[in-house]
Amino acid sequence: MIALAIILTGIGSYTMRAFFIFALSRYAFPPQFLRALEYVAPAVMAALVISMLTTPEGALAAGAPEAVGLISAALVARITGNHILSLTAGMASFWLLGWLL
Amino acid sequence: MSSRSSSAAFLWKVRYITLCMNAPAPQPALRGALDALPLFIPALPFAFVFGVVVAEAGIPELLGWSSSPIIFGGAIQVTLLTLIGEGASVAAAVSAALIVGARHMLYSVTLAPKFQNQPGWFRWIGSYVLIDQVFVLSQIKPIDEPIAFRRYFLSAGFTFWTLWMTCTALGVVLGPAIPPEWGVEFAAPVLFVSLMMAASDRRDKLAAAGLAMTITFLSAGLPNRVGILVAVISTVTAMMLLRKQNS
Repeated sequence: MIALAIILTGIGSYTMRAFFIFALSRYAFPPQFLRALEYVAPAVMAALVISMLTTPEGALAAGAPEAVGLISAALVARITGNHILSLTAGMASFWLLGWLL
Repeated sequence: MSSRSSSAAFLWKVRYITLCMNAPAPQPALRGALDALPLFIPALPFAFVFGVVVAEAGIPELLGWSSSPIIFGGAIQVTLLTLIGEGASVAAAVSAALIVGARHMLYSVTLAPKFQNQPGWFRWIGSYVLIDQVFVLSQIKPIDEPIAFRRYFLSAGFTFWTLWMTCTALGVVLGPAIPPEWGVEFAAPVLFVSLMMAASDRRDKLAAAGLAMTITFLSAGLPNRVGILVAVISTVTAMMLLRKQNS
């Protein structure tokens, strides 16, 4: 039963990823549509961040250390464009504030 | 004399800079692998969370791990195995896991133009490694040349794949190797904030990110993380309506 569930989910998740790549392989995209797609990446990343910080019931699961960690990571990312530096800054300020409070 | 040497130094600098600008960029395959490495750091604690989920669900280790090559998607795997561990039916667990992974359809639409002038085999294999991090890399490092795009994409994708297969195997065998009180799981939202900033290279994209955050928060109580999908679709629609109004 577990093996069946894993295989079905595998087929389903592969189909979701492949579907439009195959379905639209000859489609002439209108420029308007291509412009709309530019917003998908920032919007998905933003949505993932918030969904990681909320419980499945919809409550916020973050306090001051998390907020400061995220803000410092965002600032370092904007200034340096380097993900390792940004990750370091975010985690360091999160741990520091968590330890202080 | 001194002014002459400084102007010579200046000329050398100019020559050096033009040389750097014309130097061939590092191979796309190498670049893909190198870009993938820092993005894997937050997936490491998640691989151990996955190990704990498999153990708590009472699923045999090898069977639990087999979801890594078969599904290849952390959040989808964890949702599926958690629900099965809680005694959910196959239909309920599979559909919940697929709803959690539904955002991959948006990646499929967004990348469809890039996959148009590519060989068929790449559509089959590229789809298999189309995960969050590979998608965002393809967006923040846009490559127009088809061969370079393909090499970069596959190399980043299979770097992740190899690391995920290895680390989930370790996670299943070792179990909770990282003490939860360290809070390393927080690395995931931190990385995604950083990726969000990289993807928001224009003010309107940053506004889209802010809007998506708000809508996700407001719809966070919806089952199976459907809020992500609601937020992205309504944000993209709103941005297009605003754009139409301003033009």
